[in-house]
Amino acid sequence: MPRHANAVDFWRGFALVSIFINHIPGIWYERLTHRNLSISDSAELFVFLAGWSLGLLVGSRKEPVTAGRLVVRLGGRALTIYAAQILICSIALAILAATAYVLDNPLLLEWNNAAAFFQDPALTQIGLVLLTHQLGYFDILPLYVVLMLAAPAIALIDKFARPLLVPLSLALYFASLTAPFTAPTWPVSGQWFFNPFTWQAIFVLGFALSRDDGLGAIVRRKMNLIRGIALPLVLIAAVLVWFNWFPDPIRLPEPKLLFLNGKSFLTPMRLLQFLALAAVFSAAYALFAPWVPWLTEFLSILGRNSLNVFCVGSVLSLVGQVIRLVYTGSFVIDTMVVIVGMGLLWLTAWVSEWKDRQTAGD
Amino acid sequence: MAHGVGVGMERSANSWRLGCALAALLAPAICPAAGGGAAAQGTPELPAIAKECGEASLSETPLPNSATALQERKQIKILAIGASSTAVLGWSREGKPPLLEQVLERSIKGLDIEIINRGFSGELSQAAGTRIKIEVALNHPDIVLWQVGTNDAFAQVPVEEFEASVRETLQWLKAHKIDVILVGLHYMKQLAKNDHYQAIRASLQRISAQENVLRIRRYEAGEILGRTLREAGRPEPADFGLSEAGYNCMAQYVARAIAVGLYAKPVKASPPSPKP
Repeated sequence: MPRHANAVDFWRGFALVSIFINHIPGIWYERLTHRNLSISDSAELFVFLAGWSLGLLVGSRKEPVTAGRLVVRLGGRALTIYAAQILICSIALAILAATAYVLDNPLLLEWNNAAAFFQDPALTQIGLVLLTHQLGYFDILPLYVVLMLAAPAIALIDKFARPLLVPLSLALYFASLTAPFTAPTWPVSGQWFFNPFTWQAIFVLGFALSRDDGLGAIVRRKMNLIRGIALPLVLIAAVLVWFNWFPDPIRLPEPKLLFLNGKSFLTPMRLLQFLALAAVFSAAYALFAPWVPWLTEFLSILGRNSLNVFCVGSVLSLVGQVIRLVYTGSFVIDTMVVIVGMGLLWLTAWVSEWKDRQTAGD
Repeated sequence: MAHGVGVGMERSANSWRLGCALAALLAPAICPAAGGGAAAQGTPELPAIAKECGEASLSETPLPNSATALQERKQIKILAIGASSTAVLGWSREGKPPLLEQVLERSIKGLDIEIINRGFSGELSQAAGTRIKIEVALNHPDIVLWQVGTNDAFAQVPVEEFEASVRETLQWLKAHKIDVILVGLHYMKQLAKNDHYQAIRASLQRISAQENVLRIRRYEAGEILGRTLREAGRPEPADFGLSEAGYNCMAQYVARAIAVGLYAKPVKASPPSPKP
C-alpha cells in the first residue's frame, strides 16, 4: 500500500509542479511559482529532498543493510535514473523533430540545445549517453545521476565516519566555488548547467538533516531558534528578489562566486536562503494539511512517485512549449496547458501506484 | 541546404566608407581619415567569407573596448551566450576550436582569441541578462556575443518586457566597457506574417540602433537569400543556418564583423535612449 501523505512527499510534489511550470518559459503561471519571491527555486527543493529521501532509505532501521548491499542498491537506483534520463531525452528529441516536420519549422531543431544532435548526431549521441551533452530543461536528472552515483560513497562515509560527511561535502563545495571548477560539456564546449561539485552540498545536507542523530538531531533541538533567525532572512530575500536589489556582480570582491546569486554554482546566497526557507516552511505542512486534504493528497501522490512524475513532467513541459508556440500562448491556452499537465502528472502517479498495488497483490 | 547568402549588418549604407576604412588598414596613406587605434598595430587581413556564403555588406559599428584589449594584450575574450552557440561560433570538430576563433586568429596576426561558451538554449532574454552579468563578472570578456530574440518570440514574451530586459543588459554592459554583438532572430518564410515574431524583431532592431550596438542581421540575410533563390527558380531554404554550412557562414560573418569593429572609426554617440 502506498504510504500516507507526509511533508516530504508533499513538498516533493510541490517541487515537481513548480518545475513543470517553470520549464515552460513565458507561461502566465510562471509568475505564481515561489521563485518570484525567493532566491532559491524548486531545483534546490528537489535536490534537497532527494538527499533527504536517501537519508531515510539509508537510515531505515527496518532491516540492517550491509555496506555491499547498500552500494548495490544505490547503484541500481542511479542506473534507473540514468535510464530515465536517456529515455526522456530520446522522447524530447523526437518531439522536436516531429514538431519541426509537422510545422515545417526547422528552427525547432535548434531548440533546447538540440542543434548539435541534429547536425552532428554521431558525436552528440555519445555526449548524450555520457551525460556531457544535455538538452535545455533536461539537465536536472544528469545531476541526480551523478549524485546517486556518489550516494554509495555518501552512505559509506555516513556509516563509518559520520562526523566527516558534512565537512567533506562543504570542503568540496567551497573548493569548487573558489577555484572555481565544474563539469564540462562535450562535444559542444561549455559547462553543466548544474555544477555537481557544488550541488552535492545541498544533497548531502538533505541527507544529513533527515537523520535522527548528528546534524539532524542538533537542528531539531534548536529548531525554534533557527526559525527565529530564518524568518527575517526569508523576508529580506523576498524583498531583494521582488525589487531585484542585488549587488552588481562586477563590484563584488573575489572570489565572486562566494557572493553572487548564481544558480549553476548554487552560490552560498542561494544555499543559505534555501535552508532558511526550508526551516520556516517545515512548520507549515502540519498547519495547513488538515485544511486542504485534496491538495495534500494531490501533491503527496506526485511526491511519492517523483521519478516517474518528473520524467513525464519534463516531457509535458516541452509539449507545453510547443503548444504555446503553435497556439500563441494566451491566458486561456496557458490555463489549459497547466490543468491538463497537472492531470497527466496525477495520472502518471496513480498508474505508478496502481502498478505497485498489482505487483503487491500478485 | 545551400546557403548562398548575403548577410547584411547594421549601417550597411555606409559600406563604401567602411571600404575606405578597411583599405586604410592595409595602406593608411590611401585613406588617412579612417582606421582606429588598433590599426596602428599591423595590417590585418579581413576574414574571408566563403563564396557559398555570398556577399556581405559590412558594418562599421566599432568595438572600442576590444580594440583597446587588442592593443594592450593581443588577446580578446568573447563570451557567447544565448541560444544555440553552434549557430554563431561555427562548427567545431575533433577538438579543434570553433570556426570563429580559427578565422579571427588566422586573420589578425598574433591575436589570441578565447571563446567562452555559455550558451543555454531556450533561455529568455531576462534570464540570459542575469546570467550575462554573472559570466561577465567571472570571465571578464571583451565582447559579449548574444543570440537573442527567437526564444522570446516563441515564448510570447510581451515586446515591452523583452525590450526592457535587453536594453537594461546592454546598458549595464556599456557601463562596464564590454562590447556587444547581438545576433538577431532567424529568418523563416513561415514566420514572415507572425505578428509577435516580427514585433520582437523590430524591437531588437530599434534597441540596437538606439544603443549603437552591432547587430548581425540574420533575418534579413535569410530573406535576401530566399528572394535570390526564388528569382533564380531554386527551392528556398527554410532557414539560414540549421546546417553545418549555414552555421559556418554565420561564424564567418561574425568574424568579419568583429575584425571590422576592431578597426572601425568611433562614431558619434547616439541620442540617449528612453529609459526601459
